[in-house]
Amino acid sequence: MAAPRDTPNRAQRLVGGWWGPAVGMSALGFYATATAPRDEAGREIFFNVPAGPWAVYVFFAALVGLLVWGFVRHASLWGIGRPTPGLFRDIPQRLRNTARLGLAQDKVRRDRYAGIMHWCIMSSIVVLTLVTAQVAIEADTPLNFLHGDYYLFFSFYGDLFGVIGLVGVGMALYRRYFADFHRIRWDERLEDHIIIVGLGLVLLTGFVVEGARILVTELDAHPDWAVWSFGGFAFAKGLEIFNFAEDQVLFLHEATWWVHVSIAFLWLGMIVFTRLDHLFFAPINAFFLRTDSQGRLAKIENIEEQEVFGVGYVQDFTWKQLFELDACVRCGRCTDVCPANIAGQPLSPMHLIQDLKAHLADVGPAIQQHRHEHGDAGREVSPVALVGEVILDETLWACRTCGACVQECPVMIEHVPTIVDMRRFLVMNEARIPATAQGALENLEMRGHPWRGTSLERTTWMEGLGDVPLFDGSQEYLYWVGCSGSLVERNLPVTTAVFRLLRESGASFGVLGQEETCNGDPARRLGNEYLYQILAQQLVETFKAKNVQKVITNCPHCFNTFKNEYPQFDGYFEVLHHTEFLSKAMQDGSLKATHPIAADVTYHDSCYLGRMNGIYDAPRQIIEMVPGATLTEMQRTLSKGLCCGAGGGNMWQEEVGERRVNHVRSEEAINTGASQLISNCPFCIQMFEDGVPAVQPEEEGRMRPFDIAELLEDAVFGPKAKEETPAAAGDSSD
Amino acid sequence: MHIVVCAKQIPDPETPPSAFKIDAATNKVVPAQGIAPVLSQFDAIAAEAALRIKEAGGEGKVTVISMGAESAQAAIKQVLAMGADEGVLLNDPAFEDGDSHTTAKVLASAIQKLGDVDAVFCGRQAADWDMGQVGLLIAEILDWPVATIAKGASLEGETLSVERVLADGFETVQVPFPAVVTVSNEFGEPRYPKLPQIMAAAKKTVTQMKAGDLGLDPSEVGKAGSRLQLQKLFIPEKGAQVEFIAGDTPQEQAAALVSKLRADKLI
Ligand code: SF4
Ligand code: SF4
Repeated sequence: MAAPRDTPNRAQRLVGGWWGPAVGMSALGFYATATAPRDEAGREIFFNVPAGPWAVYVFFAALVGLLVWGFVRHASLWGIGRPTPGLFRDIPQRLRNTARLGLAQDKVRRDRYAGIMHWCIMSSIVVLTLVTAQVAIEADTPLNFLHGDYYLFFSFYGDLFGVIGLVGVGMALYRRYFADFHRIRWDERLEDHIIIVGLGLVLLTGFVVEGARILVTELDAHPDWAVWSFGGFAFAKGLEIFNFAEDQVLFLHEATWWVHVSIAFLWLGMIVFTRLDHLFFAPINAFFLRTDSQGRLAKIENIEEQEVFGVGYVQDFTWKQLFELDACVRCGRCTDVCPANIAGQPLSPMHLIQDLKAHLADVGPAIQQHRHEHGDAGREVSPVALVGEVILDETLWACRTCGACVQECPVMIEHVPTIVDMRRFLVMNEARIPATAQGALENLEMRGHPWRGTSLERTTWMEGLGDVPLFDGSQEYLYWVGCSGSLVERNLPVTTAVFRLLRESGASFGVLGQEETCNGDPARRLGNEYLYQILAQQLVETFKAKNVQKVITNCPHCFNTFKNEYPQFDGYFEVLHHTEFLSKAMQDGSLKATHPIAADVTYHDSCYLGRMNGIYDAPRQIIEMVPGATLTEMQRTLSKGLCCGAGGGNMWQEEVGERRVNHVRSEEAINTGASQLISNCPFCIQMFEDGVPAVQPEEEGRMRPFDIAELLEDAVFGPKAKEETPAAAGDSSD
Repeated sequence: MHIVVCAKQIPDPETPPSAFKIDAATNKVVPAQGIAPVLSQFDAIAAEAALRIKEAGGEGKVTVISMGAESAQAAIKQVLAMGADEGVLLNDPAFEDGDSHTTAKVLASAIQKLGDVDAVFCGRQAADWDMGQVGLLIAEILDWPVATIAKGASLEGETLSVERVLADGFETVQVPFPAVVTVSNEFGEPRYPKLPQIMAAAKKTVTQMKAGDLGLDPSEVGKAGSRLQLQKLFIPEKGAQVEFIAGDTPQEQAAALVSKLRADKLI
């Protein structure tokens, strides 16, 4: 079984590369200028519109002026943000992002309907702009190339993209007014109607103008030319039915021309005032998209010297964070996939971004002015508190830092760092934390682990396993057990399973036992960067002192922290998640799954292994190599997978809202009909141990959550682990 | 308004049972390896109560006092980070192994030495020995009124209004200054320190005082002055015996169970 993929393949990318044909066609035209002998197929530019040329140039100048003014106005607002370090590093990667995400629109196409619609509209706008530009060049430069075969070809593709544009507009109208489609209506505004209807009118009037001209100049004289402009030709035929007198048609032509040109320029002018600005901001934001891992949060350098911790005032965001607020098109994709929103909890990433944007527009100018006059940060200027009033505490706490929003956002907005920045302010500056999360943080400070009230020791799991080697620098790998792996009852069997499999594979490894301390991930995700830095520094030093080079973790959060975040503390280690190590060990034969496990399983991609680190294949390869196990994917899977609900420190919080995220996700898993829910993360397992019984109250036939290592342990050593759990034995026999 | 908070550092109550050990020879708890001692939770709540009164009054000072070893600095810093203004550590080998009375004597002497104290807030008991004596004894030594097991405390004119937890309800009492209050967990959670305060606390120096500084003779404090003798410290053995009650029908089993419980004088 090849793992299903959802990154665009080559063919899809090529389709996304719409600009290729358009540019090619235009090039052909210029080529024709130089080579083709002049023949008479062609048309009079500004036919029948004597005032046309100057009007177009006046409109054009006004548009350019407006765009520049608009840009400067926006840019001065972004300018109140802090500097953004590293934006001009990794230029080749950034250019690739601009091409793939900005121009080829990989993300837009994650919703197929929207992808096609957007492609139609966008390519039509771009090609028709090129068409118009060619007309202008023909009219106002010594170059004359709109004649002969190229003119006919030009007429053809101009009309083609006009029709394509109308198809796109039709699809948009259908979705907005006729389909039962919600996300685009969560924040619908007048401009949304104007934009789409306006574009439709521009295209339609264009065809009317063309049709009228053809009716007068070509239909009788050159019918063989006329058919090339098939759209205009059809309109001409339509007009012909009415039997207008020629001067009536000419009047219609002139009037419609003025309407067409005016609407077109007004429409373009809306770029400055509406979400149409994404035309420019989306590709630019693709360029600004981070090139390091999504799993990494920014380090606050010299934390002890900060005036304010985290972001509690809009001017404390970086200007990139402010810039991207303007790129948001209110498409609702982020909110649509947000686990908190799906469960009816008080967070919608789209509204969060829009609220920030509105707040910036409200207070930005006053802050600018204050800075100009007083030269200080102007934190007291805003009459409303950014954190607590503009964005509610509960909204910030509901975030799982799962990255689903970032993954979907077609304009490459990064919500997670923005949310965590505000959490940092809440926790460090204001000390406003939900009680249970506070308990976890205090526990981290006092006891070096987040599990308040555990009665286990870090070495409890070793009982009955014989000789457990302690890491002394001579072994190849450090097996990092983690706080959950050693201090939470449910996760101990996972730890022992990984341990037994590592031992069986012949790997050279050791553990730290009592010397493990939390790597700080919960503190960082909960917003206590200060505590995180203390814990991280400590552990990096321990690793270095022990000469740790390679680490295997059984927790995607530990994995992500070591791999992506410890380099910020000069800790460079080769880090493997156990699924990676185990799948390799099975492939090279050092582990053999010989015991058939007859089980239908479904697989849950944890956010920090999947989306944040792109590891989708290794776990699926393991399941594939377990004899007898069959995998049924859930509807939301791979990079579209839904969080279990525990991420972003929500493991230690009471949820507020209609439902609990783990119940939603458990339900999705149960709907596959599988008997086992396989995951790779100690938090996910705990969430499902709680969520599955809530959805399936009957114990009989209830789905059981397991770590992939537990599944593999059974397949390698025989189903021993299950003997203690009768419910599972029942499951695997069906 | 100057309030003193008495804070004690204790072995972590969340020490896993398997790591909790007692040295039978010395009758002492063996500090668990790798498990740092913590501030007694009741004292953290007392600090919260004191800070709220200071904040409500708009001015005043909170001083945290702890009797203990050098490591107790951590407990003091924690209260400083919550917002206390000054810290005093009463660290003298002579203070060790005392009882509630000698502890109260040392603390009361320190409070007298500070001089201008209006109120003393203690936890209702230390979360290690759970005796609940020290606060009362401080009041006794200082000859101040005391309100115990408070779930609320606020300034009311020239007096302190204290809401107390009783066995079957609550009562509110008015206490004139100076006074001692012992605070219970019903008061609520202690605050989470703000980072600027944590960093300010880290920079503060804690005043150290020894028996001599307090005008105490080593013979009247610590083990020497102790009136309480610890006979034996041990971890109770827990056992369970299971007996299946015979009987052919549930009725018979129930009857057999009842006579068995009667015989064992359990009902
Ligand atoms: S990271 Fe996840 S939980 Fe947070 S806003 Fe984005 S989608 Fe919602
Ligand atoms: S943030 Fe991105 S995904 Fe969300 S509404 Fe805005 S553009 Fe759409």
